[in-house]
Amino acid sequence: MMALVDSSVASGPEAGAAADLAVASLALARRFAAGATLWCMAPQWPSHGRHVAVEFVHPVVMGARALPAVSLHEADAAATVRLAARPGDILLAVSTADHAGTVDLLTRSGAWGLTSVWLGAGNRPVGSPADHVVWLEGVDPALACRSGDLVLMYHLLWELTHVGLEHPGLLEAEPECTDGVCVTCSDEGRMAEVIGVGTDGRVTALVGGRREVVDASLVDRAEPGDLLLVHAGVAITSLGGAAT
Amino acid sequence: MTTEPTGFLYPFIEAEERDGAALIGDLTRSAQSKMQESRGLRTATLERGRDGIHAAAEAMAARFLGGGRLLAFGNGGSATDADGTVDLFRHPPHGRPLPALSLVDDQAVLTALSNDVGFDLVFSRQVIAHGNAGDIAVGFSTSGASVNLLRAFEEAARRGLLTVGLCGDGGAMAVSDAVQHCLVVRSGSVHRIQETQDALMLELWSTVQRQLARSEGL
Repeated sequence: MMALVDSSVASGPEAGAAADLAVASLALARRFAAGATLWCMAPQWPSHGRHVAVEFVHPVVMGARALPAVSLHEADAAATVRLAARPGDILLAVSTADHAGTVDLLTRSGAWGLTSVWLGAGNRPVGSPADHVVWLEGVDPALACRSGDLVLMYHLLWELTHVGLEHPGLLEAEPECTDGVCVTCSDEGRMAEVIGVGTDGRVTALVGGRREVVDASLVDRAEPGDLLLVHAGVAITSLGGAAT
Repeated sequence: MTTEPTGFLYPFIEAEERDGAALIGDLTRSAQSKMQESRGLRTATLERGRDGIHAAAEAMAARFLGGGRLLAFGNGGSATDADGTVDLFRHPPHGRPLPALSLVDDQAVLTALSNDVGFDLVFSRQVIAHGNAGDIAVGFSTSGASVNLLRAFEEAARRGLLTVGLCGDGGAMAVSDAVQHCLVVRSGSVHRIQETQDALMLELWSTVQRQLARSEGL
């Protein structure tokens, strides 16, 4: 489907990420066109979280549209996003693959109805909870975050998102689920986060960013903060994880 | 302030366009070309600036050995570069942690100064408060024309601080007598300048670490 790309054009650790950046950027453009806010966090390198946000809010290119972006403080990132983000917003996390807090937040972001992008360096995450992964592989993250490599990645994410916004015909059309495995309408469970426990095995949970009453009588535990997989209003698996 | 070419705003804007794959191919090639441009500029700037980087790092190492601290400042994305620099010196991936202070991370100070004396003096007044002869003032400006940086460098030079500037070309910083070591990036793109300023600072930091290790006979 995609035009062949000459991988010899760019060398260096970032070269392999170009196609992932392109796909993530078009996803961001689609979300922004629908009114999304971008929530940015970089718990290991807070200055990068602020840098991403200012790129979007105050573009360096005159005439480029100011887009809503917020940088999050690590201490209350989960609480802030859970409370303030709206379904359809975007979560951009910048970190290494082994940062537990980031993995947890990205995992929960599905229950909050967010599109997630994970940008990082070093060993690529295995089984990423994020919708989009853009990674600088084969580098020392402690150096890549200072060498200009990491900044380059989100400069390009910003720039390509704006190119995407110039293509209105592509912004209206969210990808449709035609392959039968779409989590919204197939047999697959949806991620839910318990926010309140009721009686008779029922809990209140966030599912796709909306409060729903879920029958949790089939799972071992469903405490506030726990993640559940829900199918047709019934929790089929508890993933635990009330830590945040 | 912008000098970035607007060529990335592709000319074919079609509301009827439906082929996302074609656009993704274009975006991928665009990303690859910018990556190549960024890497090329960083390599060329480090190569061309080798002597200047070495001289600045040697002077910085001497200040650190004398008990000096680094004060870092900048606006917008460059403010985050200042914060990143402070983080790099204080919490280095290897080598010796060094004392550094960000002049952009306290909103009480920033808003108090901006409200009471004006944004042009937001860094120079902090240099007056924190700076001592023997310290190091490091400022980032992609335009090289930020008035508050120029004021801060003038104040710092008056007080005997070592002054190190990282900037794009064409602004007043590159020719200011108050900036003793000015590392200039020759590019019309704010983004490429910023990426290259990161590379320059990493090289400065790493050279300072080598100098300090040598001074300790390591």
